[in-house]
Amino acid sequence: MTTPNKTAHQASFRDPSGYMFHDGKTLRRTVNPIYFPQYNKLKETGFFKTLIKKGLLIGHEETEASEERIILTPEHIPFITNPYEWSFEQYKHAALLTLQIQKYALTKGFILKDASAYNVTFHKGKPVFIDTLSFDFYEEDTPWRAYKQFITHFFGPLVLAKYHGTEIFKMMQTHIDGLPVKLIASLLPGKSKLSSTLYTNIHLLAKMENKHSEDYKAETKVAKLSKKSQDNILTNLFNFIKKLELNEASEWGDYYNKTNYNDQAFEAKKELIKSWVLPMNIEKLIDVGGNDGTFARTVLSDVKDVIVTDIDANAVGYNYHQAQQNGEQNMLPFVCDVLQPAPGIGFNNTERNSLIERLQAYAPDVTLALALIHHITLSGNVPFEKSAEFFAKFSDHLIIEFPKREDSWVESLLVRKREFINHFDFYNEADFEKGYSKYFKLEKKEAIAGTKRVLYLFKK
Amino acid sequence: MISLYFDPGLGAMIVQGIVAFAAGVLLFSKNIMYKVKAFFGLIKEEDDTYDSIDIDEEDTENNDDTK
Repeated sequence: MTTPNKTAHQASFRDPSGYMFHDGKTLRRTVNPIYFPQYNKLKETGFFKTLIKKGLLIGHEETEASEERIILTPEHIPFITNPYEWSFEQYKHAALLTLQIQKYALTKGFILKDASAYNVTFHKGKPVFIDTLSFDFYEEDTPWRAYKQFITHFFGPLVLAKYHGTEIFKMMQTHIDGLPVKLIASLLPGKSKLSSTLYTNIHLLAKMENKHSEDYKAETKVAKLSKKSQDNILTNLFNFIKKLELNEASEWGDYYNKTNYNDQAFEAKKELIKSWVLPMNIEKLIDVGGNDGTFARTVLSDVKDVIVTDIDANAVGYNYHQAQQNGEQNMLPFVCDVLQPAPGIGFNNTERNSLIERLQAYAPDVTLALALIHHITLSGNVPFEKSAEFFAKFSDHLIIEFPKREDSWVESLLVRKREFINHFDFYNEADFEKGYSKYFKLEKKEAIAGTKRVLYLFKK
Repeated sequence: MISLYFDPGLGAMIVQGIVAFAAGVLLFSKNIMYKVKAFFGLIKEEDDTYDSIDIDEEDTENNDDTK
């Protein structure tokens, strides 16, 4: 922390056990002496080793050890996604992982001392626990002190999403410490009180929290809870979450039945993208508005790291589901609305980085934007120059598909402008190229056979 | 033990006894239902991408032996 190229990570200050810092380009973790007893025990008993081998906890190497500090260098995670960017299934997996780890910790005489959703992210196709110092010793017969946090970060949002859809997860953006229990309870339908799990874990919890909120001196004696009882809470929550499904769930898998071009053109588009991307020999690709990942998958085996975002949480969910089933380790799907990318949140607005900041740090070699520009331009009313500026912030190469005015989707978007349709005369190839030339150099341009669309390759 | 750097919520600590009791009753009855269903051969294999809550340590230990 003392030398100029070592700076503490902006999100790492809440836990006195240690903190993350940037050492040049590498992210490392300092363990403070106050946490040495826990750390040593976790290391000696093979606790870390088991979780790391199982892929449940991010791997690390002890790269320095002295009496003042121990430094761990964790495995690099290319891109961190936050809870408000997850699809339902991802959120579920992250919650189940947390419960699994807490249950395992209990059997080894430890506990998770916090259950923040930010302790989990997605890496190598799976959720992984990233806060190595979140463990503490278990004290016999004590309740789980991260229990409420688990409810406000995981259980509450998941249950609410069941009834109100995954838009609920976006509330995590405005509540970095999780959704207030009272709010969760008030948003649940009355019939949820009939479920003993929902009644006790949410409604009763909200009542009890309300009742004891004025115990400023912490005078009330904390109740005891046996390990077996805690096990029951964890197992019951696990079973309940595992079975949770969205009420609004739509069928997966027909995203491309709604295309306005035929199968041949669909294949032609795939081939064209492949023939442009592969010779570039790239490592990192992001497909913005990439739906269920169909087009990104055409190059998945040749690119080390692929990110696919979409505004539709259901498409992201389907992408994640496919990645799970195919065992794809290099596919990372997440939810993103290009017109409203995730802001920087938390203390100083820097605890969780904005999407742009994270994308800049990730620095994709190629950005794909297929069938997206007409939405940005015509639904979002974003001028070409502005969207070019957005892509230029993080992309080196940009492959962007431009549906012409004659494309049926563009036509339908234009028709909806009614008497203002003339305001959108600028939506044409010439103006598009002009706007993008402000930030990019045009490298290639090719009409996609069988469609009224043109594919462009721009370089910054 | 390190003092807590966030408020666990007193209500949340107290309520866990009741939550655990309800969970215990539910798990117990589910267990009985499972046994009854198993007796009549009604158990379907679940096909999903989720693990069980219990972490299977055996294969990790076997890996260690090869070192």
